[in-house]
Amino acid sequence: MMHDVWTVARKEWLEIFDQLLRFKRGGWSILLIIAFLGVISPLQLGTSWLSSPLMFFYWPLLTTSMTSTLIADSIAGERERHTLETLLASRLSDTAIILGKILAAVMYGFAFAATNLLIGWTVVNLKHGHGELLTIPAPRVAALLSLILGGSFFISGIGVFVSLRAATVRQAQQTFGVIILLLMMAPVIFAQFVAPERQANIISRASELGLETLSLRVAGGLGALALALNVAAIRRFKRGAVVLD
Amino acid sequence: MTVPAIRVQGLVRDFPKVRALDHLSFDVPAGIVFGFLGPNGAGKTTVIRVLLGLVNPTEGRTEVFGVDPRTGGEQVRQHAGALLEHNGVYERLTALQNLDFFGRAWHMSSGDRAARIRELLSQFGLWERRDESVGGWSRGMKQKLAVARAVLHRPRLVFLDEPTAGLDPVASASLRDDLARLAQQEGVTIFLTTHNLAEAERLCSLVGVIRRGQLLDFGTPAELRSARGAPIVRIGGRGLTDEVVQGLALTPGVGGVERDREEIRVQLVPGADVGAIVAWLVGAGVAIEEVRRDRASFEDVFLELVSSEGDKAPGVTR
Repeated sequence: MMHDVWTVARKEWLEIFDQLLRFKRGGWSILLIIAFLGVISPLQLGTSWLSSPLMFFYWPLLTTSMTSTLIADSIAGERERHTLETLLASRLSDTAIILGKILAAVMYGFAFAATNLLIGWTVVNLKHGHGELLTIPAPRVAALLSLILGGSFFISGIGVFVSLRAATVRQAQQTFGVIILLLMMAPVIFAQFVAPERQANIISRASELGLETLSLRVAGGLGALALALNVAAIRRFKRGAVVLD
Repeated sequence: MTVPAIRVQGLVRDFPKVRALDHLSFDVPAGIVFGFLGPNGAGKTTVIRVLLGLVNPTEGRTEVFGVDPRTGGEQVRQHAGALLEHNGVYERLTALQNLDFFGRAWHMSSGDRAARIRELLSQFGLWERRDESVGGWSRGMKQKLAVARAVLHRPRLVFLDEPTAGLDPVASASLRDDLARLAQQEGVTIFLTTHNLAEAERLCSLVGVIRRGQLLDFGTPAELRSARGAPIVRIGGRGLTDEVVQGLALTPGVGGVERDREEIRVQLVPGADVGAIVAWLVGAGVAIEEVRRDRASFEDVFLELVSSEGDKAPGVTR
């Protein structure tokens, strides 16, 4: 099974890297993001870049958006490019196809964030290290990477459902865009229905936990949700239905 | 008793507003090229989907080498290769990457994969272009790559859904030769659907004709021709006027007369006396230059089968 999952994920990466290397489909924008978040931002923030709480906001957000572009294409793209039925006629199992596509999207987003973090850390050290090795505390790195991974898995779980239902990549991206917007607005909507005292209580308890612990807990929650979504996606992915859709 | 490559028994597949397959029954022996013929929407692709376990039948039973695709779809697909309605090649990948992906999917070892890919790409004349993204290739080249992909893992059974559709005559002929060679060399069973009747007649040792989900006829191309195609006499000469043709059509033993450029094509009824027909023409003032016996073409047989409305063909071999 793992061999088949890896085979599908490898194919996905080959396809996306071909596009990136040819500077099609967002190739240039990725270079711009790396330049801004990996080079310009660390240069401007200096050593505070290593401890900025903003890290816990924009890195997961960025990774999530990278993952979402790939996962929206996963099934809808195969359908649009008329390769889906051939893939389904192969000996690959439904589970291997779905998990391979999720793995490719998650690892793509994760690798992108990790690379950017590494570049940023190198830039800060080169510019502000003055011969000393500046580090990000290990618990912070662990919490951040967990949050990035949990967020990516969660988004992939939703994305694969959207992609299964969509006839075209554009349709998948549009639907997915609306869902991501709703998810981002969820705290605002939540606040409308919760009394101010209760809100203050939640914020106070979150503050007591600290950023790292809170992030790890959120990552765990997202990971659990992602697992449930992935299991549901595998169950939903039935060859007959997908072919006839 | 030898297990047939494919066994279809009473196969029915209903879609919300249409019955796509209507009690189909036939067997395909192993190791032959089987041609599945029929007009657009006849149900050919649905049969392939059912046999590959991609779509479940509403009623009836199918077996591929003794395995029911409904319950053993993965097992069937493990031993089958397919070129479906669309060639299904990944246009962003190179030819090598395309085949490598499917080789990995079929758990071929690294060495075997590399050797087999080289063998097939060389055989199809694509080896020199193996590192190009196939998106820029011609349709014929993509189709060849798709055929190579279908036979890559040395399957026992290959489904080819209109493999020469949309190809120019040269590319079609070349692909046809490749398929014939593959069938002979690899010893696989090929399940071929095509609109090209000359292609079917040349390649297939057994054919089935389907229309609106029903099997109209089944047998070798020669059997279909002899069972369906009435004997024909082609007569060439001077003086074959419209009046003569009209008069000949009313002569005993003549089923019908058609003009075919400089000659006439006389369809004979069983037991017709060709000598009497020739004598009648001579008597009508025709200077006969050539008389030759012929049979209806495979295309004539096919058209006769699929154009007759609402009937069930008699004598269907199942």
